[in-house]
Amino acid sequence: MGQIHRRDFIKVAGAGLGAVAVSSFFHDRIWAGVEPPPGSVFEDRFGVTPNDMRKVLAAALSKGGDFAELFFEYRLANAVTMEDDIIKESAEEVGLGVGIRVLNGMQTGFGYTSDLSLPKMKDAALAAAAIANSGGKFEARTLEAVKPGRQVYTMAEPVAQAPLSDKIALVKEAYLAALTADKRITKVSSGLTDELQYITIANSEGLLVSDARPQTRMRVRATAEEKGVRNTGSANAGGRVGMDFYRAEGTGPKDLGKKAVREAVALLSAVNALAGDQPVVLGKDESGVMIHEAVGHPLEADGNWKKTSIMWDKLGQMVASPLVTITDDATIPGYRGSLNVDDEGTPTGTALLIEKGRLVGYLHDRLSARIMKLPANGHGRREGFTNMPIPRMNNTILAKGEAAPEDILQSVKKGFYAQTYQGGQVQGTGKFTFSVNLGFLIEDGKLTRPVKNATLIGTNVQILKEVEMIGNDMAFFLGTCGKGGQWQPVTAGTPTLKIRQMTVGGRA
Amino acid sequence: MSKDTQSMRGLAESLLRYGKSKGATEMEVAIDEGTEFSVRVLNQEVEKLTQAGSKGIALRVIVEGKTATASSSDFTKTTLEKLVDGAVTRARLSGKDPFAGLPDLEGVAVDAAALKIYDPAVGEIPAEKKLALAREVEAVGLREKGVTKSLGAGCGTVVQDRLLVNSKGFAGSYRRTSIFLGSSYQAGEGDNLFQDGWYDSSVSLKDLMGAEALGKKAAGQVTRLVGARKVPTQNVPVILEPPMTAQILGFLARCLSGDAVDQRQTFLAGKLGEAVGNGLVNIVDDGLLPAGRATAPFDDEGVPARRTAVIEKGLLKSYLLDTYYGRKLKLKSTGNAAGPTNFYWAAGDKTPDQILKSVDRGLLLTGTLGQGTVPTTGDISVGAFGLWIEKGEVVHPVAEITISGNLGELLKGVEMVGTDLEFRRALTGPTVKFSQMTVGGKGSAS
Repeated sequence: MGQIHRRDFIKVAGAGLGAVAVSSFFHDRIWAGVEPPPGSVFEDRFGVTPNDMRKVLAAALSKGGDFAELFFEYRLANAVTMEDDIIKESAEEVGLGVGIRVLNGMQTGFGYTSDLSLPKMKDAALAAAAIANSGGKFEARTLEAVKPGRQVYTMAEPVAQAPLSDKIALVKEAYLAALTADKRITKVSSGLTDELQYITIANSEGLLVSDARPQTRMRVRATAEEKGVRNTGSANAGGRVGMDFYRAEGTGPKDLGKKAVREAVALLSAVNALAGDQPVVLGKDESGVMIHEAVGHPLEADGNWKKTSIMWDKLGQMVASPLVTITDDATIPGYRGSLNVDDEGTPTGTALLIEKGRLVGYLHDRLSARIMKLPANGHGRREGFTNMPIPRMNNTILAKGEAAPEDILQSVKKGFYAQTYQGGQVQGTGKFTFSVNLGFLIEDGKLTRPVKNATLIGTNVQILKEVEMIGNDMAFFLGTCGKGGQWQPVTAGTPTLKIRQMTVGGRA
Repeated sequence: MSKDTQSMRGLAESLLRYGKSKGATEMEVAIDEGTEFSVRVLNQEVEKLTQAGSKGIALRVIVEGKTATASSSDFTKTTLEKLVDGAVTRARLSGKDPFAGLPDLEGVAVDAAALKIYDPAVGEIPAEKKLALAREVEAVGLREKGVTKSLGAGCGTVVQDRLLVNSKGFAGSYRRTSIFLGSSYQAGEGDNLFQDGWYDSSVSLKDLMGAEALGKKAAGQVTRLVGARKVPTQNVPVILEPPMTAQILGFLARCLSGDAVDQRQTFLAGKLGEAVGNGLVNIVDDGLLPAGRATAPFDDEGVPARRTAVIEKGLLKSYLLDTYYGRKLKLKSTGNAAGPTNFYWAAGDKTPDQILKSVDRGLLLTGTLGQGTVPTTGDISVGAFGLWIEKGEVVHPVAEITISGNLGELLKGVEMVGTDLEFRRALTGPTVKFSQMTVGGKGSAS
């Protein structure tokens, strides 16, 4: 992920450092610990009634579009950062606006405004309506409010409502834990972000649904130096959870501080990877990156209705080793990628993508489902009201296998083990990489020397067939996924797994 | 100054007064407003059409050396005043930081008009014209031999206003325009597929690359990769095409940023004044470049734009600093509060063809995949696409390989720098030849 500068918030808030909130004022209508009331924050707080929404939808359909949708967003986000022993700054962000989308067959018109007055919303609707140029043929149905069928967020003790002093205490605790964990640590930074995103979706089919989505993340970075060698380690944790998450074992500020230090210190003695094709074992902790890139993105349905994904003509075919079963589950309670409804108001669920090696499904938004004549499955997501929804992942999971992780290691005489990651990237062609921050050499079935910064590359349909062993363990990587200029919180989970052979970048 | 800008300036100044009354010792207000149009076509049909106006406001409040920031797209007075109240309250909970604060006012402001970053004609280009350009560029590329599919083409315009005022008396505003056009394609057979493309952008339509040339360039980027294969693992010289030089510059800019230097998260920390490359390394950050893609009269905190020699004949002359890290590092802001501006590798004296001919066996790097760059160490390890060179000639395309090296070592091993520098992107450079990188591919080198 690129760096985020202080004032890039207007476009990239929500990415990584993300987003923002603190003042109690903005939370006077936040419903602590309980479900939001019926109706929406947009009516209660900003006076936009369902009747107004219907008028805007009518304007959106006035040029002949066949479907129109309003996506209202009110986003409150906060960040606090510590550097060089002081709380350097805190930030608060308010995002407010509506994105208006009109579909005309396979075509999309889009407009948005941060002014929720009826005339400005109608202007934005007419801008979106320009995708069609015949007279209005479709009418907006009467809106009927529905509630999301599930609640997958922890609404108790929202981080967005916690006093700033409590958040500062967490950030300091993480900072000090890292700084004192090892005498080789020379610099530490820590930060906590949280947000609460209220959305209301109204569409011309009569759907009216609202959701309130918490999100939080804590990060620590630590730099270790010894004998002129310098390395940086990092750790993070979070999700759609409350303050209690940071008091739990394993995800507390001290745990994160120490984890960042372990990585930084291990990297001090790391060598370069040995370049070339070799057996690769992916450790469970963060190897979800591989599944996210190799399987998740290529199965997002937009690349498949456009026939530009390598997977578009492979439905029903074996695309992976029979050991491989992959799902995307948006309903895991409290997870970073989880949602009650997607950003088009479609209920979320679990999508089966690959079953015992066979490709059985794609991740759909409303448009791709319409074009491919398949049911929408709740994967239409958008970064905010200035973006159109597109098919995205939520929590992508490679199902557990039967092998003991130690047996997987022992099966490798000489190879590469991946432990932590910088990230990954994939093309529609199926060519993908993932970048390992810290790995290890495997020699005679054992992890020996630490290895730094190695990128692995392959084509998904080949590498998925090379999956030889899958462990009976499981862990999740917390990520922020970029696609089409939009950032989304996701997770990806994998057991330990072995790839028979893959190209590793390093030194020769 | 337009009427809108005047009303925004009134809003910003009233917020400064409000902040002062609430206890802010220093305060800054920035407002962005923009109109956006973009059209995307796929197989000659309009796929997506976006038209919108957006705005955002950002505040920085300092109370006795303690900082808080806030931002909003909601411009209602109550929201903004509550944000200021909250920021003043929050600032008191931040640490007292001797380096915090607004930049000192500099006497000489940059004349925005001389920068040529605004063309009123851009806002007037009809939607039909932009749609026609996108269709034309896509069609040109689709006719090229070897192209199998369009991945879409697009054209768009942005008109952006920025206003910045602060409590030390700085007040500045500017307007800029941008138009972009581009397309990308797929090529290849079976499961050995490739994708690539090209785009161009400029302040004015008249300076934009023509659709015919652009479509051909975009198609050529991908058709030349068809049939690519792996090569054995080995150490070879690597030639970077200009967009790859730009990628290296992106990594270098991260390594030069004040926060990375201060946090010791860059291999360039503590190297000011030292040789960090050989004599062929000449890197400039020029915020004043006329019609540059990142040109503006002042940066994100009102520091006037300037031209900074960053690396001169291999010597590290300057980091890229904002006011805060400038003070903290006992240096001065370089006008880079928003990161690098027009950041480029100065042209050398070899033609791209001379550089190619100089390689007995090596890689011409045309594309990368992945983000394996570590500022703390300078290590690079990424997936790569390119053209294999034998005896000065391109012999076949390569893919599914990795390249790795260390930026510190690479800069000391620059062998040739091309004449082909163009200022069409904010980060830009000519063709550059590195003496050696490791290509990871078939087999192991050991």
